[in-house]
Amino acid sequence: MSESKLLVKGTVPPPLDRELTVVGKPLNRYDALEKVTGEAKYAGDIKLPGMLYGKTLHCPHPRARILKIDTSKAEALPGVMVILTKENTKGWRTCWYEVPEIAFPETITHEGTEVAAVAAVDVVTARKALELIEVEYEVLTPMPPAEEALQKPVPPLVGDEEYPGREMFDRKPFVIQRGDVEKGFEEAEVIVEDTYTTQVSHHGTIQTRACVASWDGHELTVWDAAQGVWNSKRALAKSLGLDPENVRIIVRYLGGGFGSKAWSHRIVYYAAKLSMVTGRPVRMERTRNEEFVNHSRRYDTTMYLKMGAKKDGTLTAIFQKAIVDIGAAATEENYYCRQIIWHTANLHACPNVYLEQTGVSTNKQTTGPTRSPTNMQAIFALESHMDRMAVELGIDPFDFRMKNYATYQSVGTAEAHMISDGTTTFAAKIPYSSKILDECMKLAVDAIGWERRRAPVSDNKGPLKRGMGMASYLVLQGVGLYPYVAEAKVVINPGGTVNLFVGVVDIGGGQKTILGMIAAEELGVRAGDVTVFIGDTKDTLYAPSCHASRCTPEMGPAVLQAAAEARQRVFEHAAFLLDTDAGRLRSKDGMIYVQSDPSRSVSFRKACRNMAPDETIVGIGSRAPNPAEPMMATFGAQTVELEVDTETGRVNILKCVAAQDFGKPINPKLCTSQVYGGIEFGVGFALTEEGLYDPRTGKLLTGNLSDYRMPTSLDFPPVEVFLPECEDPYFAYSAKGAGENTNAPTPAAIRNALYNATGIWFNDLPITPDKIIRAARAARGQAKGAR
Amino acid sequence: MGQAEGSRENRKHVTMTVNEKRVEADINHYMTLAEFLREELDLTGTKVGCNRGECGSCTVILDGEAVYSCTTLAVEADGREVLTIEGMPVKGKLHPLQQAFIDHDALQCGYCTPGMILSAKALLDKNAHPTEHDVRIAIDGNLCRCGSTPNVIEAVLEVAGRLTEKRGDGQ
Repeated sequence: MSESKLLVKGTVPPPLDRELTVVGKPLNRYDALEKVTGEAKYAGDIKLPGMLYGKTLHCPHPRARILKIDTSKAEALPGVMVILTKENTKGWRTCWYEVPEIAFPETITHEGTEVAAVAAVDVVTARKALELIEVEYEVLTPMPPAEEALQKPVPPLVGDEEYPGREMFDRKPFVIQRGDVEKGFEEAEVIVEDTYTTQVSHHGTIQTRACVASWDGHELTVWDAAQGVWNSKRALAKSLGLDPENVRIIVRYLGGGFGSKAWSHRIVYYAAKLSMVTGRPVRMERTRNEEFVNHSRRYDTTMYLKMGAKKDGTLTAIFQKAIVDIGAAATEENYYCRQIIWHTANLHACPNVYLEQTGVSTNKQTTGPTRSPTNMQAIFALESHMDRMAVELGIDPFDFRMKNYATYQSVGTAEAHMISDGTTTFAAKIPYSSKILDECMKLAVDAIGWERRRAPVSDNKGPLKRGMGMASYLVLQGVGLYPYVAEAKVVINPGGTVNLFVGVVDIGGGQKTILGMIAAEELGVRAGDVTVFIGDTKDTLYAPSCHASRCTPEMGPAVLQAAAEARQRVFEHAAFLLDTDAGRLRSKDGMIYVQSDPSRSVSFRKACRNMAPDETIVGIGSRAPNPAEPMMATFGAQTVELEVDTETGRVNILKCVAAQDFGKPINPKLCTSQVYGGIEFGVGFALTEEGLYDPRTGKLLTGNLSDYRMPTSLDFPPVEVFLPECEDPYFAYSAKGAGENTNAPTPAAIRNALYNATGIWFNDLPITPDKIIRAARAARGQAKGAR
Repeated sequence: MGQAEGSRENRKHVTMTVNEKRVEADINHYMTLAEFLREELDLTGTKVGCNRGECGSCTVILDGEAVYSCTTLAVEADGREVLTIEGMPVKGKLHPLQQAFIDHDALQCGYCTPGMILSAKALLDKNAHPTEHDVRIAIDGNLCRCGSTPNVIEAVLEVAGRLTEKRGDGQ
């Protein structure tokens, strides 16, 4: 084992130097019991005495100005406690993803923008009150789609005068440049170019956003549905002008996140304000339609790619131009949408690249984190184009990728994020902390039976066609956005009860289980001996929000360090009992023993009983920021075999193989579940999910779960998962992140398999039956014409 | 979600059996069964994900049939038997389906889980030995965005004693 470079502040705990007894085991998740019995209380299940019910009124137009708003009839309705509109909330700011926004704007920039909030004694009254609010709008023509909008003069700022305009509104392209792309194309013997588009898509969490806010005159307590309690606390305190000390956020259980609940959201701000005005607790729950129209979604994109290669398959140049529709606003200072060209710069080795991205504001819904916010779009275009090039070269797609295997990364998103003039030129070859993408690709092609793969043949032997496809990916790791703090606390009481306090949320990824397992391993106790407290800003230290697959790689080292520190303190008690030095002790499975003579041992619990009655052992761990080198990323490859009926357009995925480089899985059972989740997203994005807008009114047409078609049990393909392990000394037990990254390659693998089945390149997602039928008809027509 | 008091003529008296217990209440006639269970009886294990019969997280068993309680009026359940997730354990012990869901990690965020378990139970009550396809059909109306579906199928087949068969099929 190589030297530990664990990313912690202060002393790096030495490696355990023994076999692992908890980490790496497929244990059941710790909170499964509450979830299968219905005992788990989610935010919308919380009921407080005297609680009111809040609702918000949403503008039905994508672009409009409020001329007049009259709440008198609604206020007269018995049971209505308060109504907030722009008229009585001047100067109020929400902090959505830490971006200040006007609480109730006069100028409406997307359908679903809030124009009023009501608190009433029950939800029926609140809904009735909304119906009685009279709003007169000046309806404006919505901005055209992104590509078209780019050709027109820059519109006046989409928001109010006070709206803090952001860089992307200026349409300044963001560029990644390396080498000499023109020279690269001159050297190329084969050049391939094409355009790819990806659609608007949504998170589709089964729990809609909900919260209960309770203000007692001094302290605000919120039972929230958020992926991070600490960042929500910060954002909420900032927007309400409260001391963060007086804001407590609780998220015991979360009904799915996928980025939609990455930060505090406007609904929480409204609930808090309604509670502060009325002096009573307020519950707010969003309807399913509100979840569609009043929330961020995935960036839709148009990506032009031009690639050059030598006949032997060596890449010489890549040119990319991407247009990203950021809707009415983008979160996180446009950080996410910048990543769309980053993958092209790094996934495959290519000396010359020129990659350009332009964000365009429109009057579609806002954009933000959405399970692999840009990875899935970026990887779809890049890996589709790699297959296109492989076919032009007459090289197997797997061999082509191996030929251009990159062992280094040349531009990090940190640089991409910070460059202020929009251009980054970066050619340094920075090694990865670990990377076994080659092994993943090999596993994925072998398991699907790649040797059976044949080039597509145009025949008339019936409408059913079979094919295989692959795609690879890389995704960032432990992004560590400001404020870069990730801390954990282990508390051991006399008698030996071990408590782990972590300020994260278990969003369904098994965060509670994984962090508990890391603590148990490092302490040398059994998995069940650690009680994990999560999802509360009270009693925990600052921890990041669980998005970007960052919980394990960011919190893992902190938990390990906290547990190691506490263990050494327990060892002092054990050393006294065993009459030895603490430095000679080891622990495992609840026993502490002398390393040179394991027969001399004492139980962990007994050692703790040696503590003074008033003694408490506290271990604190703190994650250090990512170093400038090496680069940290996760990788993987997926292969798909499918059958497509070219007459009905129906795609039947016969099998999907996923081989993921997560470093070492702390819990392979939970990691496998993550892969299933990624494939669910990937299949939907590839084939069925699409947010459609009325071109005339600009309104969303698909704001429900019937028209927005997410995969069901009948669409879910058989999946085979491989989790090859590698050592990564920077993370706790080599555990990198597993989560959003798992969906990145799925759409491209499906699309490449469809080509292999039909000989048709599908470049526009989703690949719905109508597109397949039309393309197959055209292909048949061409074949006839050629005869 | 809380309900308005409403006028007298809007109110109905209902009597039903919920989890083998007789319950009676005066409720608004437009109250859904999901609202009745959650707000009147505090049985919050029944989740509401869309409130329009699309996601299936509100699934309960009504006289042996899996139904969406968000699109069933509480008055429709008058005189009938309702089973919710809280009524699943048998004599204080987990129902085999619940244990199988835990063992197969057939849940992630857990929000769809109660409805998923009840759809599976309604299936097994009628067909003790379903095929994999039967299971897929039975839970087709229960959306899971986390991707627990493959594990749900395994869990249900294990309880049905068909898991080895499924694996033997080379699936």
